[in-house]
Amino acid sequence: MTRHFNLFMVPALAVLAFVFAIPILLLFAVSFWSVKNFRLQPDFSFAAWQRFLTVYGDLTLYTLLVGLLVGLLCTALGFVFAYAARFKAGRFGDLLLVATLITLFGGYLVKIYAWKSILGADGLLNQALMWLGLTDEPLAFLIYSRGAVVVALVHFLLPFAILPIYASLRNVSEATIEAARDLGASGAQVITRIVIPQTLPGLFSAFAFCFLLAAGDYVTPMLLGGTSGSMLGQFVLLEFSTNFNWPAGSALSFGLLFACLVLIAALAALGGRMMRRPAGAVS
Amino acid sequence: MIWRVILGLFLLFMLGPIALVVVFSFGANALIGFPMGGFTLDWYGKLVADTGFHSAFWTSLSAAFSTAILATLTGMLAAIGLMKVTPGATRAVLAALALPVLLPPLVVAIAIVVLFVRGLGLGLGLPVVVLGHILVAQPFVILIVMARLARFDQATVDAARDLGATRLAAFRLVTLPQIASALVGAALVSAAISLDDFIIASFTIGGGNTISTFVWGKMRTTLDPSINAIATILLVLTVGLSALALKVSKYKGQV
Repeated sequence: MTRHFNLFMVPALAVLAFVFAIPILLLFAVSFWSVKNFRLQPDFSFAAWQRFLTVYGDLTLYTLLVGLLVGLLCTALGFVFAYAARFKAGRFGDLLLVATLITLFGGYLVKIYAWKSILGADGLLNQALMWLGLTDEPLAFLIYSRGAVVVALVHFLLPFAILPIYASLRNVSEATIEAARDLGASGAQVITRIVIPQTLPGLFSAFAFCFLLAAGDYVTPMLLGGTSGSMLGQFVLLEFSTNFNWPAGSALSFGLLFACLVLIAALAALGGRMMRRPAGAVS
Repeated sequence: MIWRVILGLFLLFMLGPIALVVVFSFGANALIGFPMGGFTLDWYGKLVADTGFHSAFWTSLSAAFSTAILATLTGMLAAIGLMKVTPGATRAVLAALALPVLLPPLVVAIAIVVLFVRGLGLGLGLPVVVLGHILVAQPFVILIVMARLARFDQATVDAARDLGATRLAAFRLVTLPQIASALVGAALVSAAISLDDFIIASFTIGGGNTISTFVWGKMRTTLDPSINAIATILLVLTVGLSALALKVSKYKGQV
């Protein structure tokens, strides 16, 4: 009675095909088209890809670095929070999870706007610093900087990291931890040798998701990044709207996507290797 | 003790900025800062009088409502279908359906625009927004409904069929009542996803506004204190819907 397909899946898959698969394939095809006199023409040209590599190479690298940093911060912080919620919070654990689920829907633009109000020249943080007498005039570098973008992105993506990590922490039994403790393992050893190895899949999916969303974001750098904090997503938008260069915008999108996937695949391979190697030391 | 401090700092970081916006939406001062001035409902009053906000509000609500109904339908059917196929096929189909959520929404949104404007020569507008939101919401519906179906006793359906119920009658009388709470939860989550979305809506709406594109317009131009009020309304809607969804469906975030 088990099969590979049935008719119930058709509506959902139809939406996937019509609103995602076909559009994405068309967008990819567009990256080889050309623009003449502001008119888009089907073509087979590598001009857009050349533009991506020559003009946007450095920016792509920087965007990947921001994604990497945000992904790592979210994964590390998400682990600490999920670990505390799972093992240290007792009966408040569920409440913390609900708080996380609620911040997940806290509004994407609302969060960015909140950081703008906190970090701005007449924002809350500057007011507090001046009131404390730590500075005489507002610190201008708090907003419109790379740091502001990273802080806001971590704030936005942290719930996305906490949930998969918490889900995998649920499978770590307290008995194993007790056993390790009884056999003389220190707190740090319990975490590095018992907890982390068992939650690696959760940690990895948390990182991958945060990395992808951070590297692909354009609203946060637009509002908080200023000129120094610009990311590639903004230029995808620029090429599509202001420059009316759809092929370039498309090449930028896919260039970023491929770069992200290569990086994730490399990290996955590295992680797989690390998991296999010192396993003997644990058991 | 140390863990309490750590968790407290986390909650401050996670909830603090959001709480700030809510608190200052009731403050008399135009900017976020202390002292915040007296308590006022002026910013909300301004919104009530703003026709631009009215149309954005109704557009968002109709997008959220349509997304909730349609994504729950496609997602529910897919979840039922997925329970009947091999585990390998389930994993493959789920991965495919989740892909739009994993890619940057900017890329997905632009791809939709390219197909509808250039590929099909159709215009943009609310129906396109809803299609985009269904695409993003349906994997979440599937997860929620499948979590419920996994605990579901198939024997009750078999019993109904043995007693002469048609497939449809067995579904309507036996399956549906048992998964109803999960469906309501899934519909609420879909509505919250639709309301919260900015990127897909901003590309596919064409003319007009949703609440989030309306906020965006204000954020880009002036420092308008009514942003705090709109943000609070949006927050109450999305957080309210998702909290209600959690309660109704008893979903605990299994992914």
